[in-house]
Amino acid sequence: MNEDLARIALRTIQKLGASYADVRYVNVESENLHVKKGVAEEIRKRSLAGIGVRAIAKGAWGFAGTTVLKRTSIADLAKKAYKVACASARAKKADVKLSPTSPRKAKYLTPFRKDPFKISLQEKLDALKTAERIAAAESKELIKTSSSFFRAHRERKLFLSSEGADIDQKIVWCGGGVSATAIRNGDVQIRSYPASFRGNFNTAGYEFLESLDLAGHASETAREAIQLLSADKCPSTTTTLLIAGDQLALQVHESCGHPTELDRALGTEADYAGTSFLTTDKLGTFRYGSPKVDISADATTPGGLGTFGYDDEGVPAKNVPLIKKGVFVNYQSSRETAAFLNLPEGSSGGMRADSPLAMPIVRMTNINLLPGDWKVEELIRDTQEGILMLTNKSWSIDDRRLNFQFGTEAAWLIKNGSKERMIKQATYTGITHQFWGSCDAVSNDDWHMHGTPTCGKGVPGQVMYVGHGVSTARFRNVRVGIA
Amino acid sequence: MSLEILSEVARKATKLAVKKGADQAEATAFTFIEDLTRFANSQIHQNVATHKNGLRVRAVLKKKIGDIMVGAIDPSSVEKAVSDAIKIAEVSPQNELFKSLPEPKKYTVLKGTYDRKTATCDPNVRADNAKRAIQIAHDKASFVRAVAGSYMTGSAAFVVANSLGTHAAAQISLAQMAVTVISEKEGSEGHGYCSAYARNMKEINVDEIAGKAADKSVRSVRPTRLEPGEYEAILAPDAVALSLSYLSNGFLATWFQDGTSFVKYNLGKQVFHEKFNLKDDGRDLETLYVSPVDGEGVPKQALTLVKDGIVDEKGICYDSYTAGKEGKKSTGHAVVPFIEAFTPGPDLINMVMPPGDTSEEEMIKETRRGVYVSRFHYVRTVNQPRMILTGLTRDGTFLIENGEITKPILNLRFTDSFLDVYKGIQMIGRDQERQALATVPPLKVSRLRFTGVSEQ
Repeated sequence: MNEDLARIALRTIQKLGASYADVRYVNVESENLHVKKGVAEEIRKRSLAGIGVRAIAKGAWGFAGTTVLKRTSIADLAKKAYKVACASARAKKADVKLSPTSPRKAKYLTPFRKDPFKISLQEKLDALKTAERIAAAESKELIKTSSSFFRAHRERKLFLSSEGADIDQKIVWCGGGVSATAIRNGDVQIRSYPASFRGNFNTAGYEFLESLDLAGHASETAREAIQLLSADKCPSTTTTLLIAGDQLALQVHESCGHPTELDRALGTEADYAGTSFLTTDKLGTFRYGSPKVDISADATTPGGLGTFGYDDEGVPAKNVPLIKKGVFVNYQSSRETAAFLNLPEGSSGGMRADSPLAMPIVRMTNINLLPGDWKVEELIRDTQEGILMLTNKSWSIDDRRLNFQFGTEAAWLIKNGSKERMIKQATYTGITHQFWGSCDAVSNDDWHMHGTPTCGKGVPGQVMYVGHGVSTARFRNVRVGIA
Repeated sequence: MSLEILSEVARKATKLAVKKGADQAEATAFTFIEDLTRFANSQIHQNVATHKNGLRVRAVLKKKIGDIMVGAIDPSSVEKAVSDAIKIAEVSPQNELFKSLPEPKKYTVLKGTYDRKTATCDPNVRADNAKRAIQIAHDKASFVRAVAGSYMTGSAAFVVANSLGTHAAAQISLAQMAVTVISEKEGSEGHGYCSAYARNMKEINVDEIAGKAADKSVRSVRPTRLEPGEYEAILAPDAVALSLSYLSNGFLATWFQDGTSFVKYNLGKQVFHEKFNLKDDGRDLETLYVSPVDGEGVPKQALTLVKDGIVDEKGICYDSYTAGKEGKKSTGHAVVPFIEAFTPGPDLINMVMPPGDTSEEEMIKETRRGVYVSRFHYVRTVNQPRMILTGLTRDGTFLIENGEITKPILNLRFTDSFLDVYKGIQMIGRDQERQALATVPPLKVSRLRFTGVSEQ
């Protein structure tokens, strides 16, 4: 029924004279569970179905979206998109051009074993309660808040275009985590597993949450939070820094993912998130990092939160190298931005919208730092003096993605090739290309996918789910201990 | 979407939930219209018109709560949402911390918060305003390279009903414009920004916004490097508002109860300068997202967060759930569905800092060596109980020497406890500005710790 409405919308806007149009029917469902101090505080289900119509008329873009899925209102929706496009043409400098893509008729379904929406609420809450109880039990006196989380997302998308594309996708992802907050005399220390801000997420079924074994890690998580209360503060110095994957994922996200978005580089995000230091004159020549640094945008990585079959322009999922042996070689792009730069390979396939009511913009897929030659233990053994930082706590980067500062939940002082003791309030700062230029080693045995379900971008604001395949890496001469 | 229709949906859903066995039920029907014309590189590049309806249902069965939200309000969707909320509640564990949905309370309707012309603005009007802003900015100087920004019009409305008799409604129209101007001279960029938030598009002065953004932009080219360190600082309202949106987390019941709030460790203490006063008042028409009631239908009222620099427990804001945990009443701060959040817990979106008696010019005159900050960017909390924030300056950062702005400087990173920063307030500006979540004046502070410098 709703699929029929999408087809009506496409026919209507084509009749109106749009030179290009696409229509997305999207139905998004989510489930959020949160157990806190023994109580299931959050049992929320959300769903949103709607249709978005995007069109080029008079050489300019227009978009209209609605949740009112009635036959009588769909033609009006298409007319609105057309009218908005015509309005855009009042302030255009050049006609929109799109790089070519073959219109596909295809289906895609996230591979999963256990549908997270079909697992009983009881089973999911039991798993969360068990993990939370174990974390709380570490110390009734010091663990003031213990929490466990589960989140599942299911999205059905039908993409139709005036070029003939007809793509039906169903994307499923889920995950969760456990955290413990220890407090003593106003000192607040938090530890989280497997990542902060509600955990880790993969395109997968409930088997992914089971694989995390929250209960098996809850005790150590809480114990570390307690240990941090007695730990020394991170020293203020310049040192060798090892960064574990649950922090490095965000480092890659902020300092490589965003600056390689071509819309940012071309200035179309200047009014909000900013632009990029990776200007188009640097493409193919700029030394972004050391020869140890290889980063790709790979929408095909199994389990990645940015893994799908086709983007929201119908471009098939691709694996695009962004940084090759330290050199900046490619952008993440859309059909329009790729055409603007005459990129021979066309769009990188990164146009995504967070709902049927949003116009797609260039988004990360899975931005992966490729594994290096080291084992984590070898990396630590090889470090005479330094600091290992784990699990993101705070993050900030400037509007051109150069000056960054991150804080982590925990850190270890490394002396003579071994972890000596934990330290707290760890922060580090740097300038993106100098920092990545100082990377001298990347591990391979702890490489896995980290999911970031809350990447904000665009006006109106959109929140997208993206992934990062990373492991532990080492950086020389990094300034730490700022706060 | 009329308030009458939303009212009918909320009432019907509540009744249906009770009929299906809920001890208590709450339904919130809402609608958003967001039409936004976005421009960059001095042309329109995105232009959207969106309409979203929705319904949230909370069904309570013997302290078991089912919470569901759907993006539709047609009869079959309403019926399904209610059934699903009941089903979730049936299989949920009891939440002993839940006391009750709010009892009904009388409230006074706010008048003049909705302007039909603004809510239904034609896309051609938005496009022409974008075009005008672009033209004005380019007219400022030949080296203005690009103009970016957005012009938004729309509306938001909700009706919340519960089985205890609460039935409350709110509706606003919205108009917002933001302009970023990028200038370039000899390969060096200068950025400037200005924005306006209103409920009536008549209040959006395109010429003034574009003119101010362009002026800052052209004055910002060829910035020099200022070494990090502690400097006197003048914070423009945009910077003050963003810092307050982080600082205000300390007044949330959720933070207070979790022990992460700075207020908890400073009860009755003067943590800020005695000139620092801050309230949250959803009925204050100087704020943007005004509403007579919160998202649970509890009447909005002014809440004093900081009085003469002192914080105490009376400044903590609650929704009914967090209040119930402490045997208290809601302060009327359940999230209002104007901002789509619907995340659990209370929120502060109508903060007001009273104006002082000085102009920005006087502040500059009184600064020996300091930094003028137009905006903060990407602020994050590094340490919650000490409210250590980090972030950067953006879109116009200037060095002040001996009472005068002498040159633009590269963007700086700050990392500092904002308890300390606002302990050092020296002057408060007389001109308040309405930002999205706070209406505030500019401030002059005796010191702000800058810990890094960005590059061009």
